[in-house]
Amino acid sequence: MQLGTLALLLTQTANVLSQTALLFFLGVGLTLIFGIMRVVNFAHGTIYMLGAYIGYSLARVTGSFWVALIVAPIIVGAVGVAFEAGILRRLYGRDGSAFLMVTFGLALILGDVVQIGWGASALRVAVPDLLSGVVLLLGEPFPDYRLFLAGFGVVMAIAIWQVLERTRFGLLIRATSQNPEMARALGTDVQLIRSGVFGVGCGLAALGGVLASPLVTASLGMAASMIIDAFVIVIIGGMGSFVGSLIGAFLVAFVQVFGNFYLPELAIAFIYLIMLLVLIVRPGGLLGKED
Amino acid sequence: MGAWRGLILVVAVLALAPLGLPPYMMTLLTEALILGLFAMSLDLMVGYTRLVSFGHAAAYGFGAYCSGWLLINTDLSLPSAVFVAAIASGVLAIGVAWVCTRSTGVSFSMLTLAFAQLLYAITFRWTSVTGGSDGLAGIPRRPGPFGLTALTSKTGFYFFVLGLLVAAFLLCRQLVNSPFGAVLRGIRENEAKTLALGYNTRAYKIAVVALSYALGGLAGALYAPFAGFANSELLFWLLSGQVLIMVIVGGAGTLIGPILGAAFFMFAQHQLSSYTESWAIYFGMLFIFFVLFVPRGIWGSVAARLRRPAADGR
Amino acid sequence: MALLECEGLTRRFGGLVAVSSVTMQVATGEVRAVIGPNGAGKSTLFNLINGVLPPSAGLVRFDGEQLTGLTPAQVCQRGVSRTFQLTALFPEMTVRENASLAAQARDAQRWLPFGGGAVFHRARAKADAALERLGLSHVADRPAGLLSHGDQRLLEVAMALAQEPRLLLLDEPTQGLSVEETQQAVETLKTLLAGGELAVVLVEHDMEVVFRLAHKITVLHRGAVIADGTPEEVKADPGVQAAYLGDFADAAD
Repeated sequence: MQLGTLALLLTQTANVLSQTALLFFLGVGLTLIFGIMRVVNFAHGTIYMLGAYIGYSLARVTGSFWVALIVAPIIVGAVGVAFEAGILRRLYGRDGSAFLMVTFGLALILGDVVQIGWGASALRVAVPDLLSGVVLLLGEPFPDYRLFLAGFGVVMAIAIWQVLERTRFGLLIRATSQNPEMARALGTDVQLIRSGVFGVGCGLAALGGVLASPLVTASLGMAASMIIDAFVIVIIGGMGSFVGSLIGAFLVAFVQVFGNFYLPELAIAFIYLIMLLVLIVRPGGLLGKED
Repeated sequence: MGAWRGLILVVAVLALAPLGLPPYMMTLLTEALILGLFAMSLDLMVGYTRLVSFGHAAAYGFGAYCSGWLLINTDLSLPSAVFVAAIASGVLAIGVAWVCTRSTGVSFSMLTLAFAQLLYAITFRWTSVTGGSDGLAGIPRRPGPFGLTALTSKTGFYFFVLGLLVAAFLLCRQLVNSPFGAVLRGIRENEAKTLALGYNTRAYKIAVVALSYALGGLAGALYAPFAGFANSELLFWLLSGQVLIMVIVGGAGTLIGPILGAAFFMFAQHQLSSYTESWAIYFGMLFIFFVLFVPRGIWGSVAARLRRPAADGR
Repeated sequence: MALLECEGLTRRFGGLVAVSSVTMQVATGEVRAVIGPNGAGKSTLFNLINGVLPPSAGLVRFDGEQLTGLTPAQVCQRGVSRTFQLTALFPEMTVRENASLAAQARDAQRWLPFGGGAVFHRARAKADAALERLGLSHVADRPAGLLSHGDQRLLEVAMALAQEPRLLLLDEPTQGLSVEETQQAVETLKTLLAGGELAVVLVEHDMEVVFRLAHKITVLHRGAVIADGTPEEVKADPGVQAAYLGDFADAAD
């Protein structure tokens, strides 16, 4: 009995970690984009969905989930770069509503592209053979794939953090985020940073989409639900804060997993309540600056 | 004086519309007027005070559920239920605004979104009142008061909506031209300075949010008996995004623009979806086109063109 | 009797004492300059007087009434108007609309949500009078954002004046002006302040401006008052000369 409770707690915690990983990929892209460009990307959920669908096709064509995991984010990242270069670039200096409109427009366009290209029915993506088994956590079975997600999430979070902290690209990102004029004055190619960050942000969302597809299937409903999750994550963590997106992802994952288990009816309201409380206490989010 | 003549002309044309238009067009037109009222209410916040709400669906959905519930569960007549729902939205808004106005900029937008999503989540949970995921169905257009049945027919309801829209427009127009409106413009351009001049800016913001929600709630309260149902989609963030786009497409800070934007949005969606399955692609492109080439919105551009020759003549 | 009295006014930021036990009085008709090196606490003192910051200790009295604890808006309503070191205007409104909105703030019906012709009429009259006094009438219909920097600084003063204050807090009115513009601004301000119906506190870096406008000078150094007196007394004060390394003995010549 005692051991059973402990095992349940352990598997639930592992679930929270794997869910955190998925949400983190979604949130960190959105927060990086906001930090650099002050753009609230309403297309982020659709980008995530696009990643899942492209991943599905790549996995079918090549027969390898791993190829899809690497190539799909690159393709979607390229779409992001193209959108930044073609549309967003003309709008810097305009007020936020312009970005709202164009990213909303992009969401509509990509949403329809997915529907035309892949049809309206949900698509099942197989868990890669390597990870189709289960491990026993204190006697309780737990899917390998979710364990892999948790581990992969930790590795990627550390990697992104190191890129931001240690590399020249990361330094330029942080500098541009804090003060674009100063960064420009110091000779940074702000334009290139913006394109790069928008591409990377979209690529990360797509990575989340590919990773999620074996768990939740790829469907058109993904976009609308994921964008709001993404918003909640970055709002709680603080718009533009890398660590904030990690904390936000964890909190949302925690409420989703434990809430759905213990209080399934209240879980969804509970997330928004947390978001509201965080904003009331700290208007800029846990680790954000108030603008 | 030209403005008054224009207004009377437009209202006259709209009043004659039932004579010439087929029933399905009247249905579309009624919905366009309701959405126009909704978008115009948001313009008070977005266009005149630069309070960008990402959660205006909260007002619409709340108003719709209120009037729907009242019409199903009480004997209130249609006008009374609609009126009560609008007031309730405004009262709700005082609480919402009290919290949201602690922040500014993107934080404000996010707080409004959080409130709207919280309401959205509550409608799922509070099944006994809201009908859960099914929503409220079979909302009647109950006659009265005093046995008045004129408003329950499709045409009668259209005139009811038209009358309320015109009244709300006149109310908003004199508000933005009043001393109160001048303070809102100050907040829009430089809130810190407005505060330093001795205005209690937060009180003004709470007041304008309350009025904006009350009118948005009025629009929602009209939608419920119009459509016969109210569901959680009326509270979803997607609607908040759409109404914001109606305001911007039409021209923020013009009152008329957002009404045009809503009508444009409705008819464009209707037309496109009757020609093609993939209307959303064209719709998305349209938004991007507007941002790039019509930055001031429909009415903003028209008004600028109307004003220019007059200015040259001076 | 003094219109403005600060008594033992102190403000700490963590371990730093920005304003340390400042006591000073300003009477109606008097122009008092507050000077001191950068970081001496001048702007913090303004923020304490008009309620932007609460003091850590001490109090501010205006016409016998305690201001401590009131919001900046409430302080303003009692007749204390302020200009800012960094120009803060409504750039898309015309110059007249800027001044009119400032004047409206002191109108009992400033919040009227309908009509308001009379409110606008009163505010407009005060605005036009203030613009006239600062020589801005000829640009009254121009958007404020398109004015020259010098005119924008004067508009700041006009907006404060349109509120018909009893105490005016001027934060570096000649900040960023050319030598010529400064000359003109000083002339305008001198005429303006000669009326004697206003009490003025002036924070200013330009010592020439200070000596031409001020009747009394308070010298702040590291938050504390190191000298207080007429311009001549302050110039002769050895402590002040030490603090400034003789800077303004030169400037005054």
